Amino acid sequence: MRALCWEGVGKLVVRDVPEPRIRAEGDIIVRVRASSVCGSDLHLINGYLPAMREGDILGHEFMGEVVETGPGVRRHRVGDRVVVGSVVACGGCWYCRTEQYSLCDNSNPQPVFTEKLWGHSPAGILGYSHAAGGYAGSHAEYIRVPFGDLGAFAVPDGVPDDSVVFASDAMPTGWMAADFCGLTGGEVVAVWGAGGVGQMAARSAQVLGAERVIMIDRFPDRLATATERIGVETINYAETDVLEALRELTAGRGPDACIEAVGMESHDVGPTYAYDRVKQAARLQTDRPTSVRQAIMACRKGGTVSIVGVYAGLVDKFPLGAAMNKALVLRMGQMHAQRYIPMLLDRLATGEIDPGYLATHPLSLEQGAQGYELFEKKEDGCLRSVLHP
Amino acid sequence: MTNNGTRWALLGVTAATAVGVGRAAARRRRRHQPERQDGWYVVRRGVTVDRSRDDVIGFWTDRERLDRALAGWATLEQLDERRWRCVARDRAGGETQWRAEITVEEAGTLRWRVEDGPMPQLGRIELAEAPQGRGTEIRAELRYRSGPVRRLAGLVGGDEPDLALRDALRRVKALIECGQVVDTRNDPSGRSPGQEKATDKVRETLMTGGRA
Ligand SMILES: NC(=O)c1ccc[n+]([C@@H]2O[C@H](COP(=O)([O-])OP(=O)(O)OC[C@H]3O[C@@H](n4cnc5c(N)ncnc54)[C@H](O)[C@@H]3O)[C@@H](O)[C@H]2O)c1
Ligand SMILES: [Zn+2]
Ligand SMILES: [Zn+2]
Repeated sequence: MRALCWEGVGKLVVRDVPEPRIRAEGDIIVRVRASSVCGSDLHLINGYLPAMREGDILGHEFMGEVVETGPGVRRHRVGDRVVVGSVVACGGCWYCRTEQYSLCDNSNPQPVFTEKLWGHSPAGILGYSHAAGGYAGSHAEYIRVPFGDLGAFAVPDGVPDDSVVFASDAMPTGWMAADFCGLTGGEVVAVWGAGGVGQMAARSAQVLGAERVIMIDRFPDRLATATERIGVETINYAETDVLEALRELTAGRGPDACIEAVGMESHDVGPTYAYDRVKQAARLQTDRPTSVRQAIMACRKGGTVSIVGVYAGLVDKFPLGAAMNKALVLRMGQMHAQRYIPMLLDRLATGEIDPGYLATHPLSLEQGAQGYELFEKKEDGCLRSVLHP
Repeated sequence: MTNNGTRWALLGVTAATAVGVGRAAARRRRRHQPERQDGWYVVRRGVTVDRSRDDVIGFWTDRERLDRALAGWATLEQLDERRWRCVARDRAGGETQWRAEITVEEAGTLRWRVEDGPMPQLGRIELAEAPQGRGTEIRAELRYRSGPVRRLAGLVGGDEPDLALRDALRRVKALIECGQVVDTRNDPSGRSPGQEKATDKVRETLMTGGRA
């Protein structure tokens, strides 16, 4: 079959690779119909998330059709149209039992790297390097989905492939980001990053009761799309002092909750950015935390900072004093796909949350490298390229 | 292995065998030397399984599970009530064998002893209830010495039995909790056979042992 493989930092090539086979009772094989790019892939492609190996198949946000099931599979049949969460969860450990699926104890068969880096190993993730289990990804004609009963969800009829594909990752991540904020109604929420994840976080915050959502980015087209599609206020950080603007927009209080949906390759305009880039290039810090710093500084006293942008290692100039003295709540994590997807599919079916507009660039698998280039440079209004193997 | 109380001796055989095999991959790593007592190296490792003690014991009802826990590292033959013969095979096709004796002391505690073979060892497993309804703590203590074979292979001291014990506990936990030990080694990739071999080595390193 054809698959989009990582061949070194910044290099993607479509190759002929063997087809996946059922390896365990609970496995299913899915013929991929839509497979999206995600901001996390950029961290992997660019070598910021470690442990990629030449030849690894990328992709973790996808949907498709079940073509084969292992003997232990109960919920799915050949022919089912399914969306699959990118996080692999076993269903039998304490973390799975308490619905903290991205912390599953048993789904990363190669846990030593993350145990050393982080003290413990979280769940495996499909197509997400050897630190996350070394699973083959979804930018391919077929993919093996372990624990298929738990990880794959039947898709409601009538919802198009290029919309439901985001129930795999961007939607649950955005929802979890808003869920972390503990909204009770009427709050002001600021969201850093107007990518697919940030947009879904903004919409989820509205659904969960936020009265105003303010999005921060530097790409006018992304900000305009957010205003048009979900009705948010916006700040362009390339033109405006973000902290100042947020203070004014909230009459001095600061947002009740700040969501960070940017991640470790955060961009900035000031002199600290040059400092961060140099330190990151020299590997003195692994991550550039610009937007996390801002979120902490902007957040109102006693508010919540919710981080879903991905970080891997160490950061510098972390304003711990601001977080401590303002008594902030910090919440963060990889999303618990299996916990949120069924509920999100309902909201998708009724149109309450409609992620379809994120699929700005439907492409073939062969155009994969180009799809990533558009996505990385945010060219041509690209929010997400969706590949169709 | 007939009555309920002693069936779970299979867990002990699994641990004894896994440790004895002391997977080759661990060979290169000797970051810390284990504690020594009366001429034995002593290591203690634990894992928490999200099941009651009865479920942990009850899991070990058949050979099939034990064979899956050992997954190709070794084969086992039961000699009598307590004694087992283990045969370990390495990748090059070589074989090593030894005998393990398992004693179930009471519900929830067992000991094993290996006197011959590559690595004489004494082991003990204790099951304790984990706090807050988190299931059962499997606590293992392992004492080992260097046998002649290990000395020949240059494996004096070293922490590889420790890494192997951690592997064994992790496999046991996964089998009890979700019925399988996940393996991604055969997932498709765009690698050449040579690159695949190099990547398998990396995988092996990332699968062996655990926290520093
Ligand atoms: N936690 C999870 O489970 C999870 C799941 C999916 C994605 N993610 C992460 O979420 C993040 C966003 O993903 P995405 O797919 O939306 O990526 P994306 O690249 O489409 O969007 C990131 C956006 O952040 C903007 N940005 C950069 N620097 C900024 C700054 N200083 N202030 C404000 N905005 C800034 C960029 O202009 C871009 O629009 C990534 O880090 C990704 O790894 C996390
Ligand atoms: Zn993602
Ligand atoms: Zn689990």
